[in-house]
Amino acid sequence: MIERTLLPELRERIRRIERPTAAIHGVLPFSIAAIDRVLPGGGLARGALHEILGAGGDEEDGALAAAFAAGILGRLAAQKSLAGDGMVLWCLPRPDLYGPGLAAHGLDPAHLVLVRAPRDAEILWAMEEGLRAPGIAAVVGEVGTLAAVASRRLQLAAERSGITAFLLRRWRDGGQAARERNLPNAAVTRWRIAAVPSQPLWGEPGVGRPRWRVEILRCRGGEPACWEVEEADATGHVSLAAALADRPAAPVPAEKFRRAG
Amino acid sequence: MPLADALSFLPGLATVVAEPAEDAAALRRLAEWCSRYSPWTAPDGTDGVRVEITGSAHLWGGEAALAANLMARLDRRHIATRIAIADTLGAAWATAHFAEGKSPIILPPEGCRAALAPLPVEALRLDPATAQGLRRVGLKRVGDLYAMPRAALARRFGESVARRLDQAQDDQPEPLSPLGEAPTRRVRLSFAEPISDPADLLRATERLVADLVPRLAGEGTGARRLDLVFHRVDGRVERIRLGTARPSRDPRHLVALFKERLDTVDPGLGIEDVILAAFAVEPLPSEQIGLPGHPAGNEASGIAPLLDRLGNRLGLAALSRLDPRASHIPERASVRVPVGSVHSRAHVAQAPDKPPRPIRMFEPPEPVEAFWLLPDDPPFRFTWRRRWHRVTRADGPERIADEWWRPEGSGTVDAIRDYYRVEDEGGRRFWLFRAGLHGGDRKPRWFVHGVFS
Repeated sequence: MIERTLLPELRERIRRIERPTAAIHGVLPFSIAAIDRVLPGGGLARGALHEILGAGGDEEDGALAAAFAAGILGRLAAQKSLAGDGMVLWCLPRPDLYGPGLAAHGLDPAHLVLVRAPRDAEILWAMEEGLRAPGIAAVVGEVGTLAAVASRRLQLAAERSGITAFLLRRWRDGGQAARERNLPNAAVTRWRIAAVPSQPLWGEPGVGRPRWRVEILRCRGGEPACWEVEEADATGHVSLAAALADRPAAPVPAEKFRRAG
Repeated sequence: MPLADALSFLPGLATVVAEPAEDAAALRRLAEWCSRYSPWTAPDGTDGVRVEITGSAHLWGGEAALAANLMARLDRRHIATRIAIADTLGAAWATAHFAEGKSPIILPPEGCRAALAPLPVEALRLDPATAQGLRRVGLKRVGDLYAMPRAALARRFGESVARRLDQAQDDQPEPLSPLGEAPTRRVRLSFAEPISDPADLLRATERLVADLVPRLAGEGTGARRLDLVFHRVDGRVERIRLGTARPSRDPRHLVALFKERLDTVDPGLGIEDVILAAFAVEPLPSEQIGLPGHPAGNEASGIAPLLDRLGNRLGLAALSRLDPRASHIPERASVRVPVGSVHSRAHVAQAPDKPPRPIRMFEPPEPVEAFWLLPDDPPFRFTWRRRWHRVTRADGPERIADEWWRPEGSGTVDAIRDYYRVEDEGGRRFWLFRAGLHGGDRKPRWFVHGVFS
């Protein structure tokens, strides 16, 4: 008698332990089949901690990491604001974010609250406070050094509240970057964004449409992967670079397809 | 008398080095301590403290009881005092410094004129030269001046005599500028027995907040800044200063904010008074309580408690929002505003074909060493942060000139800048600008203003 009630309960618990975040809080799809296929649950897990690194000279400024995050945050904030709130708490050591640039990548500055804190410990504290507060769509922190325990705390807080958290790694110099880059932490995914020379538009001189190389270095329950994409547009969506993209102009709605059959 | 002379008269003379700065600081602390009697206190000269007790004497059971209490406490700390209470600051000063009789001296209302008459003219807070001049013509007492025509006095001794006379008799106002800002609302809790237990401090805080909140609610206001002041038995004053992102009168929220900081208060031998003062009170209309499942309030009120917690640890200045402004100057097109201010949501018209803007912008722009060929060319290479970049592609120039119609415009930025978006070999994209023109007095300089994604 006991076993009959206990077994499904245990199964449920094991299932939660195995794939905790995606199962509880849902995912945010990238709307690109090639990327969503790799991520467990078909998108970026909500209520989880994600780590984003810049690469190729971007370790200090974190511009690529910020732009990639801005696209995701814009979509998170927009979805949450249908329900009333959708503030993004962005904790950073020096406030060099530029509003028009964020807007161009999909994050409306009206959704943004900047928190400036000089030390990593304070940034982590502020993030954790944000992860416990109602009315927050997502929390971002720019940190240099990160202890595994601190990341574990953030991950647990994100899991409990369902607020998505992003860690942008910003290092003082190459030496710190080399030391910190490969240390393990509790983030669910680790992304690395690098700039790729832009493709000239129709052979014209000048800077073309900016492109990134997006890599998933680590993903709980998924595989590492790498794509070349064009940067996030004002709706916060990245798109596969033209050379790789091979998709129909408009996806065929599945419902119609079934009825016809 | 020089010190050497004094020592020759009295070899065993005890000497102490004068420390005016320390004395002033001690006097200031004493004035601060006096704020237990009234919020309006200030040090007076080098040897006195002014306290405005209008409206607060009745809390102590009358002026006499207040003065007795003050004197007893100061005696306990071995501070020799002369206390006088009068209608005007001038009369109180004169009485305290020159009147016969035992301290405290309390002049009856409207009694200044009579009480001042027998005092010497120095009691009017005149500079020594003026007082000496009055004495020379036989005007030794304040009462002697009453009969004198004002015009003659002013002509002979300057207008200070007449002014001081009027101030002492309440014919001319003399404002007291208090040490700190005077609070809008103030509640106070005194203990017969000093407390020092953290739990007691918390309970006292809760009592005071519970006392303050209904008053704010009655006025339809909320506090933006709060001071919780602890008066220690040894006369020192400990304080917690709070700021809130939005006006607040939520007792639970306020207590939680104070609670986080209570451990910074050192109770010493015990705390005998706790005062909670609200500054910068702003209108806060009553709010609809949320129904279950339908949270009340707007989006800003939802995160206000979070912002206050962050602000009280990191400082409210650490919190900001980005507000778009209609300006061509890049650093003015997006400004950081305090988080408490209402977001303008100004619809800033954006030209559809506006050139792209960087995601991070450096303030101030960082100078780079650049090499370029033709006057209007972007650099073909530049050195930034000791790293060398070879430019492979570039867009531009986009010329941005200073907003000449603004008074602060000229001088703060270089008048004309030519912006280029450049890409280096690795694909990193920068926002460079050249300040100054070719053929000018100065060689054009190059800066990195931002980085693109």
